[in-house]
Amino acid sequence: MKCIITIELGTNGVRVFAFDLDGKVIGSLKAYCPTFHDEPDHSEQDPEQIFLTMLYVLKNLLNDTIHPKKYKVASICFSSSMHSVLAVDKNGSPLGNAITWADNRANKEAQALKASPAAKTIYTATGTPLHPMSPLLKISWIKNKDKERFRQTAKFLSIKSYIIQQLTGECLMDYSIASATGLLNIHKLQWELAALKHAGISAAMLPELAPVFASAGKLKKAYQGSLGLSADTKIIVGSSDGCMAILGDGIKGDGKATITIEDSGAVRVMGNKVLQDNKRRLFNYVLTENCYVSGGPTNNGGVIFEWFAQQFGEFKNPFDTEQSMKELINEAAKVDVGSDGLLFLPYLLGERAPIWNANARGAYFGLNIKHEKIHFVRATIEGILYEIYSIGKLLEEHRSIKSLSVNGSFGTIPFCTQMIADMFNKPVRLRQNFHSVSNGAFLLSATEMGIYKSLDEAVQKVELPDQYKPQKQNHVVYENYFRIFERLSNGLINEFDSIAALQQKNAANKKVEGIAKNH
Amino acid sequence: MLFPQILELGIRKNISIHFNSFPIAATNGIRLYHVLEGKFEWAIHSGSYVLYPGDVAIILPGHSFGSSEGILEIGSFAWIHISVQQRDGGEIVLGKWSSLSESESQAIGKLLSLNNSPVFNFSDAGKIFKSIQTELFNQEIGYHSRVNHLIDELLIQVTRQLTRQNNPGRDFPKTFMNLEQALRQNLSHQWTVEEMAALVGLGSTLFNERVKNHSGFSPISYLINIRISEAIKLLKRADISLTDIALETGFYSSQHFSTTFKKLTGYTPSAFRKNHLNKK
Repeated sequence: MKCIITIELGTNGVRVFAFDLDGKVIGSLKAYCPTFHDEPDHSEQDPEQIFLTMLYVLKNLLNDTIHPKKYKVASICFSSSMHSVLAVDKNGSPLGNAITWADNRANKEAQALKASPAAKTIYTATGTPLHPMSPLLKISWIKNKDKERFRQTAKFLSIKSYIIQQLTGECLMDYSIASATGLLNIHKLQWELAALKHAGISAAMLPELAPVFASAGKLKKAYQGSLGLSADTKIIVGSSDGCMAILGDGIKGDGKATITIEDSGAVRVMGNKVLQDNKRRLFNYVLTENCYVSGGPTNNGGVIFEWFAQQFGEFKNPFDTEQSMKELINEAAKVDVGSDGLLFLPYLLGERAPIWNANARGAYFGLNIKHEKIHFVRATIEGILYEIYSIGKLLEEHRSIKSLSVNGSFGTIPFCTQMIADMFNKPVRLRQNFHSVSNGAFLLSATEMGIYKSLDEAVQKVELPDQYKPQKQNHVVYENYFRIFERLSNGLINEFDSIAALQQKNAANKKVEGIAKNH
Repeated sequence: MLFPQILELGIRKNISIHFNSFPIAATNGIRLYHVLEGKFEWAIHSGSYVLYPGDVAIILPGHSFGSSEGILEIGSFAWIHISVQQRDGGEIVLGKWSSLSESESQAIGKLLSLNNSPVFNFSDAGKIFKSIQTELFNQEIGYHSRVNHLIDELLIQVTRQLTRQNNPGRDFPKTFMNLEQALRQNLSHQWTVEEMAALVGLGSTLFNERVKNHSGFSPISYLINIRISEAIKLLKRADISLTDIALETGFYSSQHFSTTFKKLTGYTPSAFRKNHLNKK
């Protein structure tokens, strides 16, 4: 019996799934791998720790489930979070940690490029929003602020390129991950010279480009031995977590969109055309030739509700955030739709789509004397989802959306899913306890093996059995509050800038005091 | 000497402000101060703190302590100075008088030395201070052992209170991140699960469960993962010997390093290094 293994390299850790050839899950394991924030703007991961964590979970899944059941692993397909940058020297040794998508150190570089005449050309060619998340701007930052590292760098990799290189020796980057670097021309599928020039690098300093179906060579002998895998196990370079999430839900073509809400979130559509937003608010990433995943990302997903639970929830058991969140959701359900007029702006981490404002901050608005704690709970969840709804509205300026699928740990909480259906006034489909990213990687592998003729055929096989129907009367209430939410989000620009500037100044002062105190 | 570990024990009621007193000084023992009344401004190891009734200050060996203005305010407080031994690496261990096991004593020493907040609220410390004084004053049968036990008790409770205070029990990811930092900064230390658990204010049972739940690793596997990650980085540099890498990353021998490394990566450390450097 053959099986397919998928490996997701995320900023929270590594997740491994095994599927039989019908797409049934045989087993799965995940392990945590930390993200370091040594500076407030920094967000980094240790590449060796990710590699070891990956080996650890893969080996455990093989030894606990796959080998005892006598499965033969046909292929291992990778996915990873987008926008990571890892500088390596001429020996391939990492120069410091990998910089993740959530890193904002290149904010100044982003502002400068946005204001320059090159902005329009580069965004139109590359499809990646001009934001500090973009590897184009991270590399610019290294060039400007970390000259020694830049000088020693032989290549700039993504985390996935590095991990695959450790396993097989091949240094590749799939078009999907490459299309999220801000360096790839998504129309011609080659590195964009204007972008390379802006970053100060040549194409030789980047991995070789490869289609998502490409094989990345053979596992090194030592890993064949330690993992118990044969030399003909195919290592498929795969795609990004974002592209896999929409593929895994089978959402391709007109009228359909996918909402993913984990810690962060995104609303995506997939089709054969690039969406050109003249305000440059949408991303366009490549899955395969003539197949684009477009949409908008948010920083403020489930992580904001977790923050709320940690601050204001009851903790009957130490560190049991899950239970605390459950209890809060039960409380939220007791409050009327619209939280009796209490609104929440969820921008605790600044915001990407649609407002693209790193200085945006959170706020509760409309508070009156009758509001109680439970109103805050519901308002918090509503605020997180109004933000998702605002990305959906932006996408609808370009594409009509008739139905939605939802995935991710926060989005699939039934209370949240129903709220999404009501806000959007559209039917929502999903599958409980389903990991869309891994299923996307399975569909990709299975297509590569010829089980499906094409990805178009593969997505037809995905079933999302659970359906949430929108309730019109709730939609009307949400829609009225959403108008105020939108006006606040756009209208507070000056106040966001002022408060963010003061907060930064305050943080800088504290840092200076802290240093003084330690000396 | 009946109580070699007690360098000083006292209680002081200050009814007027004293100038030119309580100067800053460092000593070799652990000093504990418990405020009973009033308000004191003290400098501890280059930080300044205001203490109110119920607060305890802990001053580690070699750390300075006193009033930065040279003023002793009105109020009362009790104190004890406990003599401890310090190993070459700076680890604090208790003397023979203590009935704590070797590993417990080491763990408490480690946790106290990793602690960054020397002032915390702990009213129950007062009861233990009082019991020690009563025992020493009355000298009833068994008082010698009782005093030794009470000092053990004081150190245990102070350590527990400190770790609990530093970890409010809500944000496990953040707590776990702090633990990871402590492990990485002291990677050559032979960490035990008890020490790691105590560092985040949990008992071992609950700690094991929370770590497994959060990370997918047992605490020891997680620690080994960090050790090997760091070892890989060092192996990629040609200028450090395998023995030094083993010791620096917390393995007690190069043999132990080698077998653990091979089990995780499929390579022995030397084969891994050769394989990497050959790529040049």
